[in-house]
Amino acid sequence: MTMTNPNDDMLDDLFAQARGTSPVPGDALMARVIADADAVQPRAVAAPVARPGLMMRMLDAIGGWPAVSGLAMATVAGIWVGVAPPASVQDVTAAMMGDEVSINLFTTDLILDAGALGDG
Amino acid sequence: MNASPDPFAGAEDAALLVAYANGDGQAARYLTARLLPRVLAQATRMLGNGSEAEDVAQDAMMRLWKIAPEWRQGEAQVSTWLYRVVANLCTDRLRKRRGGVPLDQVAEPPDPSPSAVAQMQTQARMMALSDALAQLPERQAQAVSLRHLEGLANPEIAQIMDISVRSVESLTARGKRALADIMAGRKAELGYDDDEPE
Repeated sequence: MTMTNPNDDMLDDLFAQARGTSPVPGDALMARVIADADAVQPRAVAAPVARPGLMMRMLDAIGGWPAVSGLAMATVAGIWVGVAPPASVQDVTAAMMGDEVSINLFTTDLILDAGALGDG
Repeated sequence: MNASPDPFAGAEDAALLVAYANGDGQAARYLTARLLPRVLAQATRMLGNGSEAEDVAQDAMMRLWKIAPEWRQGEAQVSTWLYRVVANLCTDRLRKRRGGVPLDQVAEPPDPSPSAVAQMQTQARMMALSDALAQLPERQAQAVSLRHLEGLANPEIAQIMDISVRSVESLTARGKRALADIMAGRKAELGYDDDEPE
């Protein structure tokens, strides 16, 4: 059996009154709380951009893929000019570097002579 | 904000907290609208003082914002966590009050109408209850306030205070008894002398 405290009625009434207290947060408090939230909110961080590799960095240095296609065209053109120079280029080359001279190191006569020596 | 529908309707508080931590600008507004009234009510009931309760409510919410990035969904209920934080912040305030000047002085109302007098008496009673809570050991004050001021069930209080249900029962029983003894001396002053409890 439990003893009833004579002050329990008063206490229970006080508890009931307290439970009935439901203050509505004022606009100023709401604003302060939201301002706090904004002040400490972690900012959305952009995904880190992967560092380009050596090849891509070299490519960027010369101007990217368009520059590479230009270089490729120039290279092909250069090789073509070397293999089959147009007449005008040959004339310019001759004027600048002198006439083209062909020397045959192994003349037919020498080969024949060598054969003669072997026979002898 | 009240006019626009809640885009997070149906989502748990923890989901909003994670959205806030991920940079969602609206999550904090909806979370504040959901949680602040209860946080403020708990602080007001324990402290019996509106401006002190507002400070505690703001402080508790600030702690929530700061812990948001570490919050793990499913590990704890936001409401349970907040009950604990508010109870701790309030007992901190009550401890300081114990050593200082009691705040049970209620100003005379300029309006002497019966409703104003009744309001003043309610205010005086709430402050007297809070001052009495301040005289209890802190764990007893917390258990009593969660049980009798918040109306929570013992298992929930056990979770909030991180103790067993049995300990909650013991703390609330001893706390209530001590509180009744403290309040006994203020019966007449608080208008409980000869009238029946309202």
